[in-house]
Amino acid sequence: MTAGSLVALRDRLDRASPAFFRFRRLGPDRTLVTNLEGRWLVLSDADFEAYVTGAVARSSALYERLSDANFLRASWSEAKARDMIAKRKTFLGYGPNLHVFVVTLRCNETCVYCHASRADMDATHTDMTPEIAEKAVDLAFMSTSPTITLEFQGGEPLVRFDLVKHIIEYAEAKNETAKKTVELTMVSNLSLMDDDKLAYLLDHRVQICTSIDGPKDLHDKQRKLPSYSAYDAATRWIATINEAYAARGLDPTLYHVEALVTVTRAALERPKELVDTYAALGCRAMFLRPIDPFGFAGKTAKLVEYPRADYLRFYAEATDHILELNRGGTQILERYAAILLTKILRGEDPNFLDLRSPAGAGVSMLAYSYDGGVYTCDEGRMLAAQGDDTFRLGDVFTSTYRDLVGHPTVRAMVIASNLDSQPDCVDCTYNPYCGIQTTHNHKTQGSIFGRMRESSVCAVHKGIQDYLFGKLADGDPHVLEAFERWNTIRPREHFLHAPDDG
Amino acid sequence: MPPRSVRVGVQSPFPICYSVAVTTIEGFPEDLARLDVDARRAIVDLDASLYPVEALYGAAYVFIDRCYVLLDRPAPQKLRLVLTPKSLDGGEPAVRALVGELANELVSAAYRHQIAQENRARIEAVTMQAIAGAMGPPTLDDLEDFDFTDEAFEDPLGIALSWEEKYAKKAAPDAAPGEDAPEEEPA
Ligand code: SF4
Ligand code: SF4
Repeated sequence: MTAGSLVALRDRLDRASPAFFRFRRLGPDRTLVTNLEGRWLVLSDADFEAYVTGAVARSSALYERLSDANFLRASWSEAKARDMIAKRKTFLGYGPNLHVFVVTLRCNETCVYCHASRADMDATHTDMTPEIAEKAVDLAFMSTSPTITLEFQGGEPLVRFDLVKHIIEYAEAKNETAKKTVELTMVSNLSLMDDDKLAYLLDHRVQICTSIDGPKDLHDKQRKLPSYSAYDAATRWIATINEAYAARGLDPTLYHVEALVTVTRAALERPKELVDTYAALGCRAMFLRPIDPFGFAGKTAKLVEYPRADYLRFYAEATDHILELNRGGTQILERYAAILLTKILRGEDPNFLDLRSPAGAGVSMLAYSYDGGVYTCDEGRMLAAQGDDTFRLGDVFTSTYRDLVGHPTVRAMVIASNLDSQPDCVDCTYNPYCGIQTTHNHKTQGSIFGRMRESSVCAVHKGIQDYLFGKLADGDPHVLEAFERWNTIRPREHFLHAPDDG
Repeated sequence: MPPRSVRVGVQSPFPICYSVAVTTIEGFPEDLARLDVDARRAIVDLDASLYPVEALYGAAYVFIDRCYVLLDRPAPQKLRLVLTPKSLDGGEPAVRALVGELANELVSAAYRHQIAQENRARIEAVTMQAIAGAMGPPTLDDLEDFDFTDEAFEDPLGIALSWEEKYAKKAAPDAAPGEDAPEEEPA
């Protein structure tokens, strides 16, 4: 090679050689490339080849696209990368904002996969005491986060509604001096709801969340009440609560009961029916969560588990159907997609604690068990109920706030869930948007690091992102318009108890 | 393959000689992984130059809830891992699955070790920011609980003493400047 041709090569490489990028084949003639900060492009085979060989002509439209998205060395902007990474990581720097209160393990319902390790209704020893509850609230208010969410769970929290009220009133009084923005949330099967309880929850602006597993026969098969239909109980109250929001002048597109699906093997066969059930109930969002190995689900796994490839087929079919409904004017979204699209299309992180890097267990969330034990997360508390105390950080009586969030277990989980410390994730095209669950790794693979190639959580995350990027690459205007709507974060301000609320 | 008898010393994780019946494990090279049929344990030999010892510890640790795990270095360039399942249910297929999982965990741990070294600065920065952000500055109560005294712990070797404290006090009180040399050189 002559000196002249070397100079020409150098100039060409400087001008058009790639900056750091990761890539993944999405299908014939389309390759996804993402960069450090999470900007992305889908390239044809010819464009991809020109890109990786540094042969993109300066005057071409491709050069412009690559340069705008910070994919070229010649125009690489550190500031552009830094700003977007900072925007994606705003959750770092704040302490726990989600505080889960397990007010009792007692529950009147029996679910095949019960995640919460429920107890029978006479097991009053699994009730939280008011003293423990107050100490837990005190710890929650010590968080460095200016916004905290107190979430009431169980068992069934309505079994101890008196305690839920006590916590709410104690927290409201405390916030007169603490001056935080507080959100209150209750996760309930709704079967023990009555008009007085609902009035109280509405007055105190408590968000209500429930579970609907699908059409009535499926829901009632998986979630059993002693003498009546769990589906009827839940759906009756969903309708009543939604009407109550509307009667208070709240926008129904924003204010409605949130419902979660636990996708079991039986549900896999019926994706469209599942979506139609949600749409008929007036739900605006559904979260198609695959079953996980915590709580009783581990023991009944043979009945309800399935290969993740089957789940991904189900996910695609259900989400396609949701998009069809959107096209017809029925507004409903899929929550997994909404979380990921917010990261992909807006470059922001909605701070879903299990789908971010590092994950939120311990640093952004704490779970307070009925007996005063404090855990990194709800799953950690469920594992403890099965005799595995790995994720126990201390207790409300003897641990200080800093003991809890600075605990060696929390540090280890932050490191293990940092995608830049994980084989596979470090090179994965979806690294800027993804997250892993250390409790799941621990439970299924024996270490908090896990092995992503064999992880069902990774398979689900990869599959859903393949689906979403596939749709983005297809470019159907209806789908793109729906995705734009899904990723738009509209805060539900009515539920925010602002620092100066009386 | 039927079990065969060998003289140990090469095969055994223990530095004594006795006879064991070993068989291969389906799918694994014979000289790397073997099943000790009598003792119902798997013996896995590794090239020490391929796996950092940190990866070996990390991978071995993952199995201690299900197995008794023994580490050994039978030769300077060889590392050995012996897995004895705590439960003998499942027979040979279960042991094969354990060896397979161990092999994957070893690769994963070794690669993770390398990534952690390469990305150390980034990982540390994020971890620091996450933990420090969550903990916040210490409160007055935290500071009150902090032990600032000089005698917070026993230090018989004087490791925490400054050079002056450790040696200067041995000099005669009226020693002239330059005469207070320590009796022994500091390490
Ligand atoms: S999942 Fe909820 S409602 Fe069902 S049994 Fe468990 S605690 Fe009760
Ligand atoms: S969890 Fe899986 S999909 Fe997500 S970044 Fe890691 S390897 Fe990629």
